[in-house]
Amino acid sequence: MTQHATTDLGNRPEITIKLASTSDEMMQCFMLRAAVFMGEQQCPYWEEYDGNDYTASHLILYVDGEPAASIRVRWFANFAKLERAIILKRYRSYGLFLPFVHWAKEFCRKKGYPKAYLHGQKRLWPIFERDGFRKVDDKIFHFSDHEYGAFACDLDVGEDSPTVTTDPMVLNRPEDQLDMPGILEESMERGTSNPHAGWTERRAT
Amino acid sequence: MNSKTTTIGGQAVTVKLAMKMEDSLQAFAVRAACFIGEQDIPYSEEFDGHDFGATHILACLGEEPVGTVRLRWFKSFAMPERLAVMQRFRGNGIGQLLIERCRQLAESRGANTLYTQALPQDVSYWEKHGWRRLDAEDTGKGLKRLVAMVRPVDPSRPLPDADAPEQVTLRNEPQVDTSGLPVGGDRR
Repeated sequence: MTQHATTDLGNRPEITIKLASTSDEMMQCFMLRAAVFMGEQQCPYWEEYDGNDYTASHLILYVDGEPAASIRVRWFANFAKLERAIILKRYRSYGLFLPFVHWAKEFCRKKGYPKAYLHGQKRLWPIFERDGFRKVDDKIFHFSDHEYGAFACDLDVGEDSPTVTTDPMVLNRPEDQLDMPGILEESMERGTSNPHAGWTERRAT
Repeated sequence: MNSKTTTIGGQAVTVKLAMKMEDSLQAFAVRAACFIGEQDIPYSEEFDGHDFGATHILACLGEEPVGTVRLRWFKSFAMPERLAVMQRFRGNGIGQLLIERCRQLAESRGANTLYTQALPQDVSYWEKHGWRRLDAEDTGKGLKRLVAMVRPVDPSRPLPDADAPEQVTLRNEPQVDTSGLPVGGDRR
């Protein structure tokens, strides 16, 4: 799923989308948001970095290896909330938004979430509607200088979505690559030495 | 320690060294807003690999980060660079507050030269604040379109007549031996 979303046809830029999984990738997400929200939209720092960044998943999109777009996903009981979606100004004519939102929805779906939810700025409503999102109700609310409406999109979770009875080693995989063996599966080759068993036994006596 | 102060709307601007992760993140966010958001500099050029070998200074208005500068250390000089003030707070002298903090820090470490590289259109701003061109003839017309500028740390002690190694300072640390331009290529 982290593989390239487009191919190398002619001079087309190479697009890569992945779950931010290192501190550098997290930093790239944060800096893209600073560029767009603080730099372009004059959002104050403490509204942009609202305290939810470290309970969320961050998705990042690269154009020819250069950080270009990001989305933050937060996890509620029955739905995933897409937020802080931005594309750097210089990449806005590339048609990245819908493929990126689509990737985000797939990510949520493969994790077993039956619904994606978002607060859409009013000017962007037609775009979200084109991508299968529907208004949750007629309410319009506002924060950080913009008017919003709540949208949701049903996701078709399959039989294979994770449950408590899923293979435990599948649940241990990197979350954007649940269909590929992860590093902990490689660790299984080392077998079991139960290195802390001795400590526990000593404490018991 | 700060001799100069600035207030905006009755609120004081405070200047401090970045000491924690959160401080550094705030400094980086101000730079991202100004350089990536406003000036369209690519991410990889803005965050060029020097950030973890440098000192970051942060200006805040109340809790809100509004300006930053990065100070890099060389043997014979200190180099303030990446000076950024959020657009809506410009014109309040925050930039000079940050540079003054750089000057004090350089003084406390025994450096006697401040060195920076300015865009040609900004040279008169730096000259107004006590800087001069390292090479009086330099107009920034060369490949890099940057003008090397210097200033004594102690205004009463004139600068020694030594050249700062201009060609080295913009390179990535591991590439110091190769001939190089600013990382990421041309400055647009």
